[in-house]
Amino acid sequence: MSNPTAHVHRHKDSGAALVLAVGFMLMVGTISGGLAALATTSMNHRNTLTALRDREYAADGAIENAITQERLNTTCLATTRSITDSSLNSVTIRVDSLTTCDLVIDSNGNGYLQRNVTFSACVTGSPACPAGSAIIRAQVNFEPANGTVTDTYVQYWNVNK
Amino acid sequence: MRTRRDAGDTLIEILCTIMIIGLTVGALLSSLGTVGRAGNAQRNSVRADSILRSYAEATKAGVKSCVQAVPPATYTVAYTPPAGYSPTVLPTGNMCPAPDAPRLLKLNVSGPLGLQASMQIKVGAP
Repeated sequence: MSNPTAHVHRHKDSGAALVLAVGFMLMVGTISGGLAALATTSMNHRNTLTALRDREYAADGAIENAITQERLNTTCLATTRSITDSSLNSVTIRVDSLTTCDLVIDSNGNGYLQRNVTFSACVTGSPACPAGSAIIRAQVNFEPANGTVTDTYVQYWNVNK
Repeated sequence: MRTRRDAGDTLIEILCTIMIIGLTVGALLSSLGTVGRAGNAQRNSVRADSILRSYAEATKAGVKSCVQAVPPATYTVAYTPPAGYSPTVLPTGNMCPAPDAPRLLKLNVSGPLGLQASMQIKVGAP
């Protein structure tokens, strides 16, 4: 004869291993899912950083181009200009420049005009390139302002984003 | 007293459990291996990116030392890459840019397991 108490006890135990196995499977599945999500997130961040790097060097190249064009400029006019640079790293950049002309007195007491240009590089498509949204903002001084530029001084070169 | 039905249930249960645990552990090991390989690829990619940036900055610094001359002078890039990585530049020759035209350069870094990373930069005359 079977013991009713023992039978009930065995009945409560039966299926416990299967439940534990399913629980273990769920736990391992969760861990695997988390690891896969981590790897995917890392790859996405990598791609984002690569895009940012490409954009930064495209802006850098666009400002180099703008400096070269400005160096060929033979007059000093306080003005605002916009240049769209050719695509670099598949990113097209626009460079806005703000020019001011300052009278500089040298050590011999002679005066000459210095052309101070502030360049702001943004991704093409934005209606303007304010300081807050510029990828790179740089100020370059050209001496003398008129005729052939002999000296170029980079006052600052800020990479913002 | 132990019945035949009870014993059969336990055996099937154990077999199912072993099978499930085996499959789960196999999947776990497989996913750990995949994540490990992805981590290696990620690390190599980050290192290649860092080398690319360093090489770009070394190239720009080299160009800043250019002196205008006819024929155009050349510049030197002072950069030693880590073992296993090889940076190259196109066009070759390290010619100084003309004052009226920035020079477009394509930098490339090749690394372990066929890793390649490239980027374009523009360098202007100092």
